[in-house]
Amino acid sequence: MTAPAPTPTGPGTPTATPSPTPSGTGQVPALQAGLAAEHAVIWGYGVVGAHAGDALLPQVRDADDAHRTLRDDTVALVARYGGTPVATEPEYALPFPVTDRGSALRLAVHLEEGAAAAWRYAVAATDDVAVRRAALVALSDAAVRATRWRLALHTSPATVPFPGD
Amino acid sequence: MVAVARRSVLIGGAVGAGLLAAGCTAGGPSSPAPTTPAPPDPLLAELADERRLVAGYDATIARHPALRARLTAVRDDHAAHAAALVTALGPAAPPSSTTPAATDSPGVSPTGSPTGSPTGSPTGSPTGSPTGSPTASPSTGIESSGGRTRVPATPPAAVAALRAAERAAASARGTAALTATPDRARLLAGISASEASHVAVLA
Repeated sequence: MTAPAPTPTGPGTPTATPSPTPSGTGQVPALQAGLAAEHAVIWGYGVVGAHAGDALLPQVRDADDAHRTLRDDTVALVARYGGTPVATEPEYALPFPVTDRGSALRLAVHLEEGAAAAWRYAVAATDDVAVRRAALVALSDAAVRATRWRLALHTSPATVPFPGD
Repeated sequence: MVAVARRSVLIGGAVGAGLLAAGCTAGGPSSPAPTTPAPPDPLLAELADERRLVAGYDATIARHPALRARLTAVRDDHAAHAAALVTALGPAAPPSSTTPAATDSPGVSPTGSPTGSPTGSPTGSPTGSPTGSPTASPSTGIESSGGRTRVPATPPAAVAALRAAERAAASARGTAALTATPDRARLLAGISASEASHVAVLA
């Protein structure tokens, strides 16, 4: 229940390395969708951390760190594929008031579900295998974190059949 | 306002919503009916593996009823995966078995598929799923003999076997997603991520 577990498909960060001659299409829009979500998720984890309570802070920090690494790697990937990485917004709207541990955990679930949705979109938005692999890892990591937050909330079931739906 | 649009990716899940139907529920328009039995559809191997997983959970719950509360929701996820794959396959999907006697358990769900199903392991599967035998799934730890699923004798060992099976399944679905059509990639990626999250609840 602490650090994000590695997924069977690879490490927890994008590992796409564009070949000199990219073999697919749609890489930049796919990555931008994931990147825009990561910006929002990182902003949201600031709110989670402010209300989650001391006991959960290590887990919140681990999740936040993972998303910041993912964001940085995705920024680099977008640039390598010739795009201009989308920037973060100064502020995002919360889906519900966050006032205590419970609502902070529900926000964390919501953030990971949003990340999963964006990265699952990204998987289908490109046929570049390297970008798909990176998006798949990000999707799986988000699904795993969402499940861990649901476990912390004692939400049942803690898993969903199609993360990102 | 730009912020609203981007926020919707996070908050509303709007990005995913428009693409959901083709991959997971509708299926029909995106999966033209094959008219020749040429090469086996690679999704058949994924479907067979999902049915093996359902059977593995059913057999485990039957042998270790104390695990029921922990395993039922995960088992149901796999049933949903199998149903979505059937939809994606269209007419090419083989019917699921209705013979619960295929497992060790007297009370298993009729959706459990015997692992010895002839649809189990098309040879030369391009997905990298290392299913060498039609009666076993060595990568998943769910073994069968004579159509019966073997469940480890202790609950911790049984859960460990399922955990290994989930890891293998997540890897196989993920590999299949890399080169699939967009609709199928979306479906397989979702299944793979779900299976990765199963490992967390089986920890």
